[in-house]
Amino acid sequence: VFAPRAGERTSGLISTRVVYDQLASVYLPIAIGVFAFFTLMIVLSVLRYRDRAEPSRRSENNLLEGSYAVLLVCVVAFLLYLTLTDEHKVDSVANHERPALVVDVTGAKWEWEFRYPADGITGRSGFVGDQPLVVPEDRAIRFNLASQDVIHAIWIPQLEFKRDLIPGAVEHVTLTFTRTGTFDGQCAEFCGLHHAEMVFRVRVLAPARFASWAAAHRGRAT
Amino acid sequence: MTVQASSARPAVRRPGGWLGAFTSTDHKRIALNLGCMSLVFFLLGGVFALLMRSQLASDNSHLVSDYTYAELFTMHGSTMIYLFVAPMAIAMAMYLAPLQIGAVSLAAPRTALTGFWIWLGGGLVMQSGWFAGDGPGRDGWFSYVPLSDSQNTPGTGQDLWTMGVTLAAIGMLLMGACVLATILRRRAPGMALLRMPIFTWTALVTVLMVVSGFPALIIAMGLLFIDRTTDAYIYSGFAGAIDYQDIFWFFGHPVVYVMFFPFLGAAAEAVAVCAHKRWFGYKAFVASMLAFSALSMAVWAHHMFTTGGVTNQYFAATSTALVVPAGIEYFDLVGTLVGGSLVLRTSMLFGLGFFVQFLIGGLSGIWVASPTLDYAANDTYFVIAHFHYTLFAGSVFGFFAGVYHWFPKITGARLREGLGKLHFVLLVIGTNLTFFPMFLVGEDGMPRRIVRYPQHPGWVTDNRLETIGAGIIAVGVLVFLINVVVSMRRRVIAGDDPWEGHTLEWATSSPPPPLNFNRPLPPIRSYAPLLDLRQQIADAGPPATGAEIREEASA
Repeated sequence: VFAPRAGERTSGLISTRVVYDQLASVYLPIAIGVFAFFTLMIVLSVLRYRDRAEPSRRSENNLLEGSYAVLLVCVVAFLLYLTLTDEHKVDSVANHERPALVVDVTGAKWEWEFRYPADGITGRSGFVGDQPLVVPEDRAIRFNLASQDVIHAIWIPQLEFKRDLIPGAVEHVTLTFTRTGTFDGQCAEFCGLHHAEMVFRVRVLAPARFASWAAAHRGRAT
Repeated sequence: MTVQASSARPAVRRPGGWLGAFTSTDHKRIALNLGCMSLVFFLLGGVFALLMRSQLASDNSHLVSDYTYAELFTMHGSTMIYLFVAPMAIAMAMYLAPLQIGAVSLAAPRTALTGFWIWLGGGLVMQSGWFAGDGPGRDGWFSYVPLSDSQNTPGTGQDLWTMGVTLAAIGMLLMGACVLATILRRRAPGMALLRMPIFTWTALVTVLMVVSGFPALIIAMGLLFIDRTTDAYIYSGFAGAIDYQDIFWFFGHPVVYVMFFPFLGAAAEAVAVCAHKRWFGYKAFVASMLAFSALSMAVWAHHMFTTGGVTNQYFAATSTALVVPAGIEYFDLVGTLVGGSLVLRTSMLFGLGFFVQFLIGGLSGIWVASPTLDYAANDTYFVIAHFHYTLFAGSVFGFFAGVYHWFPKITGARLREGLGKLHFVLLVIGTNLTFFPMFLVGEDGMPRRIVRYPQHPGWVTDNRLETIGAGIIAVGVLVFLINVVVSMRRRVIAGDDPWEGHTLEWATSSPPPPLNFNRPLPPIRSYAPLLDLRQQIADAGPPATGAEIREEASA
C-alpha cells in the first residue's frame, strides 16, 4: 500500500517537498474542476432561467441525489487514500530512516538555537544573531525540536513542512533537503512581541562541503 | 395558541422607550438588539482590520508597533468571532426561527434576555482592555498556553480578554439554549420537524452546535482565568498545552459551523424565493445538515496537525468526509436554480455570491484537511485566506442576503435595490482582491501574525492589493449603512409579503406584532406553506378571491 510512486524518492529518502508537490498536483486540479463546474452551473442557470414564465415544481430527485452522494463518498475515499499514504511516509517512514546528522533545535523568545551534538557546533539566529542552519544535501537529518518558553513552530517553506515546538517535550522529525542553496525559515506560531523577527536561514551544502564546514567549525559557533 | 398565550399573560405595564426596548422579552426585540450590537462590533473589528492592512501595505512599515499589532490581530479575530459572526448567527436564528415555525414567543425569554446582557457585558469587558494600562488581549483569538499564562502575558488586559470571552460564551450559550427549546417545543400545530423551513433547520443545527460546543469554551477560558490569577498550574507542561488546544478547538470547530449554518440557510431561502421554487432536495439537505453537525464535533484536532500531539489520520478522515454534506448542499442549490424563474434581486445576488465564494473556502478547507498539505499551509496566510473565504466571502455574504431578504419584514420598509447592487459589486471586488492574494503569499510561505516582513520584498505587491481590497470592502460596507439610513428615512412600504415568500414569517404583518401573528396561520403541509397555498390557488383556476384564501386558511 505504501509503495513509492515514481520520482518520489530522491536518493532513496523521503522528501517532504516532493510528497507535497505530488499530492498538491492531484488536489489542485480536482479543486479547480469542482469550482469551475459549480460556478458554470450557477452562471448557466442564471442565464437560462432568468425571468422565465412558469417555474418548475420539481423539488427532489432522490435517486440522482443518492447516486451523487455515493460518488462523493468515492471521492472522499480516493482523497483519503492518497493523503494518508503520503502522511504515513512523511511522519513514519521518514522517521525510520537512519539519520546522517542530528541537529537539536531549540526555540526561545525570540531566537533559534541549532546544536550539532556530534560536532559540538552551536549557532543562533533570530533576535540575537544570524547564524544559519547548515545542513547537507540529500541526507536524512534528524531534528530534535524543543522549546524553552512558549509554543514556537519551525517553518521552512522550501521543505513545505513545519512542526510545533512545545515546551515540556522533545519532538523528533526526519527531513531531507534535496537542493543546495540558501533558504528562508521562520517561526510560524505566534510567540509574543518579536515573533516576526524570529527568522533564520538554511544553508544546504553538498555533502563533501558540509563535511569540511563541520570540521572547520568543530567545537565552535557556526 | 395565540389566544392561550395572550390570556395567560398578566396585565403588566411594560416600560417604554429605550428601557423598554432593552428589557423586552419579545424574541424579535432581543434578536434585534443582539444583531445591532453585533453590527457595531463588526464595524469595530473592521477598523482593526483596516489598521492591520495599512501596516502590512509595505514590508517594513512602522505605522503601528509590534505590541499594537498583536493587540490589533487579537482583537480583530476576537471581536469578529465572539462578538459579531457567532452572535449574529444566534440573532438571526432567534428572530426568524420562532416566526418560521409559527410560535408566538420564545421559550424561556427571560433567560434569553439575561444571555443577551451577559454577552454584551462580556463584549464590553473584552473591549475595555483598550483602556487598561497594558492594552487589551494580545495573544491571538485562540490564546494558546503557555503564551497566555500570567508569566508570558502578565497584566489586566489579557485577564479582561479571558473574562470577556468567558462571559460572551455564557451569554451565547443561554440564548442558544432558548432558541433550541423554542424550535423543539413551540412549533405550531402541523409544523412537524420535517416540515420546518430550510432556514429553521440551519438554525436548529446552529443552536445544537452552540449548546454542545460553547461549554468547552467556557471551560477552556474559565480554567485559563483561574490559571492566570492563582497558582493552580492547570495547563502545565506539554500535556497542558495540548489539553488547552483540545478543549479550545472542541469548541472552536463547532463554532465554525455556528458561524456558517444560519448564513447558509439565509442564502438558501433568498435563492429559493428569488427562483420562485421551493428549495430542492429537502430531505437530503436536512440529512446533510445533521451530518455536518455530527462531523463538526469530530474534526477539531485538524487545527493541531503540526503539534505531533494528536492522531492526524483520524482527523484527516473526518475532515475530508465533510465533502459529502457540502457536496449535497451544492447539488441542492443547482437543483433549485434549474427550472426556476430567477429574479436577480440584491438578496439573490448575495445568495449566489455566498455559494460561489464559499466554494473557494470549502475547497481550500478540504486542502488543509490533508495533514501533508497542512504541514505547509498551517499558520500561513493560506489558512487566513481559507477561513476568510468561508467567514467573509461566505457567511458575511449570506448575512447580507438575509438582510436584503428580511429587512422589509423586520422594518416594514424595503432597502434600495440600486444601492444594494452597488454594495454587492463593491463587496465582491473588495473581498476577492483582499483574500485571494493571501493564498499566493501563504503558498509562498508568509506566516500569519507577523507585523513586518523586510526579508521578503516579493510579498509587497500581493499585500498592497490586499490593502486596497480591504479599503474597497470598507466603502462597500459604508454604502450598505447609507442604504439602511436612506431606506429608513424615506420608506418604501414593503407590505406583508413583498417577495412572494415561502414561509410563515411572510404570513403576518411587517414588522410582526408582539405575539407574531395577527391572523390565523395558513395550513402547514410542507416546508413552504405559502408556496403550497399559491400553487393550490393557481391550480384552482382564475377566480381566486381573498375570501377563498381566507376560507382555505381557516380550514
